[in-house]
Amino acid sequence: MDFLQPVLDGFGVVLAPTNLLYCLLGVVIGMLIGVLPGLGPAATIAILLPLTYGVEPVTAIIMLAGIFYGAQYGGTITSVLLRLPGEASSVVTVFDGYMLAKQGKAGTALGIAAIGSFVGGTVGIIGLTFLAPVVAGFALSFGPPEYAALALLGILLVATISSGSKSKALIAAAFGLLLATVGRDVFTGAERFTFGNLSMADGIDFVPVAMGLFGLGEILYNLEERHRAAKAPAKVANVWPSRADLKQSSGAIGRGSVLGFFLGILPGGGATISSMAAYALEKKRAKQPGRFGKGAVEGVAAPETANNAAATSSFIPLLTLGIPANATMALMFGALLIQGVTPGPQLVDQHPDLFWGVVNSMYIGNILLLIMSIPLVGVFVRILRVRAAILAPITALITLLGAYTINNSMFDVTLVVFFGIVGYLMKKFGFEPGPLVLAFVLGELLEANLRRSLLVLNGDLGGFFERPISASLLAIFLAVALWPALQSLLARRKAAGAVETVKTQKAKEKV
Amino acid sequence: MKYFPTRRILLGTAAASAVLAMTACGGNVGGASGSADAYPSKPINVTVGAAPGGSTDLIARAVAEGASEDLGVAMPVVNKPGANGALALKEVQGKAADGYELATLNASLITITPLAVSEAEAVSLDDVEVIVGLSQDDYVLVANPEAGVKTVKDLTAAKDLTFGTTGVGTGSQLAQALLLKQAGIKGTEVPFDSGAPAVTAVLGNQVQLATVQLGEAKAQIDAGKLVPVVVFSTERNKFLPDVPTATEEGYDIPVSQYRAMVAPKGTPEDVQARLKTAFENTFKTEAYQQFNEQNLLTPREVSGEEVVSEWTELAAKYKQLTEKYDISLQEN
Repeated sequence: MDFLQPVLDGFGVVLAPTNLLYCLLGVVIGMLIGVLPGLGPAATIAILLPLTYGVEPVTAIIMLAGIFYGAQYGGTITSVLLRLPGEASSVVTVFDGYMLAKQGKAGTALGIAAIGSFVGGTVGIIGLTFLAPVVAGFALSFGPPEYAALALLGILLVATISSGSKSKALIAAAFGLLLATVGRDVFTGAERFTFGNLSMADGIDFVPVAMGLFGLGEILYNLEERHRAAKAPAKVANVWPSRADLKQSSGAIGRGSVLGFFLGILPGGGATISSMAAYALEKKRAKQPGRFGKGAVEGVAAPETANNAAATSSFIPLLTLGIPANATMALMFGALLIQGVTPGPQLVDQHPDLFWGVVNSMYIGNILLLIMSIPLVGVFVRILRVRAAILAPITALITLLGAYTINNSMFDVTLVVFFGIVGYLMKKFGFEPGPLVLAFVLGELLEANLRRSLLVLNGDLGGFFERPISASLLAIFLAVALWPALQSLLARRKAAGAVETVKTQKAKEKV
Repeated sequence: MKYFPTRRILLGTAAASAVLAMTACGGNVGGASGSADAYPSKPINVTVGAAPGGSTDLIARAVAEGASEDLGVAMPVVNKPGANGALALKEVQGKAADGYELATLNASLITITPLAVSEAEAVSLDDVEVIVGLSQDDYVLVANPEAGVKTVKDLTAAKDLTFGTTGVGTGSQLAQALLLKQAGIKGTEVPFDSGAPAVTAVLGNQVQLATVQLGEAKAQIDAGKLVPVVVFSTERNKFLPDVPTATEEGYDIPVSQYRAMVAPKGTPEDVQARLKTAFENTFKTEAYQQFNEQNLLTPREVSGEEVVSEWTELAAKYKQLTEKYDISLQEN
């Protein structure tokens, strides 16, 4: 019971009226900025940081954490309704979410996403409560070879994620990998494809690429087919997902929670990789993988659950190791320092009230978000009833503004326009932008970690197979890569067998 | 319509004071006193060439917070990350030199980055007015306890060690490369994207050692999860009083990160003086001093002239050291 006492004390901290109020404030702000593409939680927290100087450390962090996971809820809304992923972790939600919206089932998609997010978030918090110290070790055993293997597996999964032609998906993915090489080489300082432009020295930012390809590209494409876009679903009902939908996505939500929790602990692209992996897993498991990309509820449920679970578990490295896993966590680190608390291995012992107060506030915050989002879904869905002629320019404007706010850079706005045109052309010629964006995100991870591994392993490729985690990941890679070939081989045999039986049957009939 | 001529007059006044300001640069200080009374009359932007959350960003916010109270106007911090901060600096250089556009500058951008990147990307102190120096951030070499190394001497005896750095053209890379050469240590250098991943890698024993900024590793050092081996400042760091410096150990590696506040070239002298007073008043506040303590920063609040001469000297020193020991920051 010694373990539970500080946990219960933590609930006492959260239920103080001030803390509850700041928790509510945090999640509302988070949800709003999640809806606005571009303006992410990191920038918002940076702007609001001075507001927290005057309050208790635990209150400040409760609010900032609320902004972070609240944004994960809000980010889904634009992905589903406008095909505008605000963050890397909601790119895969676009595929099925937007199709559902087109079919007049936007409410179902958003409802499932809210429920999935709630479950994923809650599982993440329970994991954080009981497993944090144990799981922190998992992040540490992920070295460069493990990241390289994971990125390799991710890139392979990209090919299975797309629903169109395989060769076109590969071409798009190759283009994405090429884009990932732009920028200053991290190992030698050499300039690659920057054309002497300082804005490209750090490579191309992910968000303008995704905003251009998905957001602006979609708007341009719809303008061309205006007559078709005018027939946007007139009736958008069923805010609450049907029992059948819930049943269909319950497995996806369960698996997404666990996957998201573990992958979210990894520094870097944890939330992104987990949302992709959850999507790919569901597609692999599905009896009819063809439904994915055409409006499958699991395609929304799995990634949205996984990215929320990951958002929660990304607190583990910060609170137990003192290592920020992403930009937002870096700001939390800064916020804690300002409050006189140094995040690190000693945090739980030295400031148990802070640790458990923040963790427990997430239970409350998630419940608040669920209560808020279900009725708001109906409001947001009405956006779809706005005429395209009005909606398109407004969306374009929000997209461009959002792109500017990320780095306060006009260059990023130009990038959105460029990739908007690329996205339009891709769509026109039957290429999916998804594989391009995902390969772009993973390409950088793969290259840097492969080179880092070779340095660590003294150039010995065999070293990848001597480490248990990277060896298992590579084994999965091989299994996934060879599975289609194996499957078609089996199918051919079966087919051959079937023909035989048919022949014998026919022969019998004749007799 | 009524406001239109007013705006014109304002513009005219602005142009006139700009002319006055230019004469002030020529030595005619008395002529510009009028504009000093008016300054500052609107918010002053502070551009930071790093993403929100890092130590550069936090320092800029802490300084801006204090100075805005002294100056009586808002001082919003604008993050413009890219190219180690060169992007932000080049942008501020292009702004009007009227004292409403400031930037924070990291010494490494002037002293170390030019050793690693092409000439076109390098920036020079000649292109800015340095208002005041801010603080010093020290680098520490940390080891995983399992590596069994506690001193530089242990390192020279060990073989096949891997050393993480925080990236190309950083003080971490320079300091570590110099140590390896000067002490004759055999090891492989592995660059990471920034401090946090490098620290994670050492904690997980993916690499045995890494050189990082103190703030990135202090909590882990206190918890006994990382062993501090050596500090690269010339004098002992007050937050790690028991850890020897490389200088004490007999090596010539004076590498620290310094930060300063700068304005575009040609900013009027009286405006510069007003800003300097505001920053100096900030340094005296308890809140700012506390901020430095919490972030493990050593104050280095020297004048702009001192910053220029110190950094220029360091740049020459690093160039000479890399040539002497045949180190190229561009190769691994």
